[in-house]
Amino acid sequence: MNAVATTQLAAELLPGVGEASSAAMIQIQDVVVEYRQSGKASKRILNSVSLDIEHGEFVSIVGQTGCGKSTLLRLVLAEEMPTGGRVLVEGSARAQPDRRCGYVPQKYSLFPDRTVLDNITFGLDVTEIGIFGGLSPSRRARRKEFQAEALGYLRRMGLHESDASKYPHQLSGGMQQRVAIAQALIMRPKILLMDEAFSALDPGTRAGMQRLIRDLWSETRTTILFVTHNPHEAVSLATRVIALGRRQGHEDDGAGIVLDLSIPQAREEHEISELVRRVEQSTFPHGIDDTSEAGSPPV
Amino acid sequence: MSVLQIHAQPGKTTVWTLSWFLFAVGITAYFWVSSQRHIENPDDRVMPTLRQMGQGVVDAALKPAEEDQGVGDADQQSILTRFRHGMLWKDTEATGRRFFISMAVLFPAVLIGLHMGMFPYVGTFFLRFVLFFDKIVALSLLPILFIAFGIDELAKVMLIVIGVAPTIILDAFNLTRSVPREQIVKGFTLGASDFSVTYRIVFKQILPRVLNSIRLNLKAVMLFLFAGEMIASTDGLAYRIALLRRHMGMDTIIPYVLWVALLLFLVDLGMRLLNRQLHPWFREA
Repeated sequence: MNAVATTQLAAELLPGVGEASSAAMIQIQDVVVEYRQSGKASKRILNSVSLDIEHGEFVSIVGQTGCGKSTLLRLVLAEEMPTGGRVLVEGSARAQPDRRCGYVPQKYSLFPDRTVLDNITFGLDVTEIGIFGGLSPSRRARRKEFQAEALGYLRRMGLHESDASKYPHQLSGGMQQRVAIAQALIMRPKILLMDEAFSALDPGTRAGMQRLIRDLWSETRTTILFVTHNPHEAVSLATRVIALGRRQGHEDDGAGIVLDLSIPQAREEHEISELVRRVEQSTFPHGIDDTSEAGSPPV
Repeated sequence: MSVLQIHAQPGKTTVWTLSWFLFAVGITAYFWVSSQRHIENPDDRVMPTLRQMGQGVVDAALKPAEEDQGVGDADQQSILTRFRHGMLWKDTEATGRRFFISMAVLFPAVLIGLHMGMFPYVGTFFLRFVLFFDKIVALSLLPILFIAFGIDELAKVMLIVIGVAPTIILDAFNLTRSVPREQIVKGFTLGASDFSVTYRIVFKQILPRVLNSIRLNLKAVMLFLFAGEMIASTDGLAYRIALLRRHMGMDTIIPYVLWVALLLFLVDLGMRLLNRQLHPWFREA
């Protein structure tokens, strides 16, 4: 695996990262994931995956459906534990998801019982105010500040203030994801994890969301881990593309990293197509299934 | 255009007429048969006429219940006082009290189900036992309950709790488990604690569905309540119905049955309106 080389490249691209701490933001060390199946041999999903992700990188993870992209994301999230190896975020292993990672899944990304504004302020409310917070005046004032901040995020995401009092089911899919990103970012996470976050959106909406997330990354330089099955999306968004896949003839071994590509940031359209072709060749060696390109979510 | 097609579109008047048709047929048929029987035998007690039932209702509502002493001369009191000492009100009060005690005792069942769904240790601790209890026919426990708890209120409330609580626990458990994992993970990434995830995310989301599940179980609650009252009680609506059976008091039994149905309908309606009021975001799936 050429992970080490790319890490150095990324460090050159983002000066000032290496000095802060010697350890990478996310360290995935020789990770193996196996699921136990009743009656059968356990199924290996990931096989000896090693990966270092530096502070401020925008990493896309691509691969075919069922090759462990989302599993890798859940490992970083600490929602799932590896069967072997270690996953460290800021140098420490964790037992369950915490505030270090913001999370934007494809579906169920908002709390359906809260208005847009309450969804965005939820994190601030729950960490700072607590369940009986409405009772004391100082905390009520604090909540007002949260709401003002949330409205700022709402505007930044391109939504109107009139949307603040709506419930998620009254919003379109794209708007819901915008709110979900605001909800995650207001907590200023170290890492933003996006699991096929735009895959259920129609192409026009999707392009807008891609521009938005790219702009947000440029402003905040939050480390982003973006899982997608769409090579074009991966290449056009990220500074680095990781492709997962299984070696031919060794399908039972589980997936590993088949490509670790750093994407030059000043790029031409033809360069992007060239890079997309390289990603496609490594992840879909048997030719591309056209349906996976249409932006439809994998089932 | 055939009436029996899937794509048939009945008009407004047709819908109204059709939906009330069976009520009209049933009521007409009853009073026709009733009048026929009264022509043959004026003392018929099996199918009372409207007038007899009306008298039955007035008697039930205004005449003092037989166990109610010290009311004094009935004719000199206001209608309201007489109603409050009448057997209809006394029975309704007794049954209603048992009903609300049972509902209050059932509320912790929701919390047990919630915690079973959220915390793996609590889940494994309770699940098998609750599944086992769910399969026990609660009415078959009735003699055991009367022996164990005596024939007073406790036994009746216990019957309802044993009969309905496992269903409510399992319902709440399943509803908790069906909350998408993404929501729980999202809660943790936003800094929520176990307590906040459980109560501020999951419990809030399942509450409208839990209320609906309790609404569906209202009939079971009433069934067990009536069984308890009919067998061992000295007041209550079901006690009265069972008592009147011995006197062939159909003129009071039929209004009582309708009264119980009306009460249950109102409780159900109240819960539905409350649910809609409390959870404007909730859409019935």
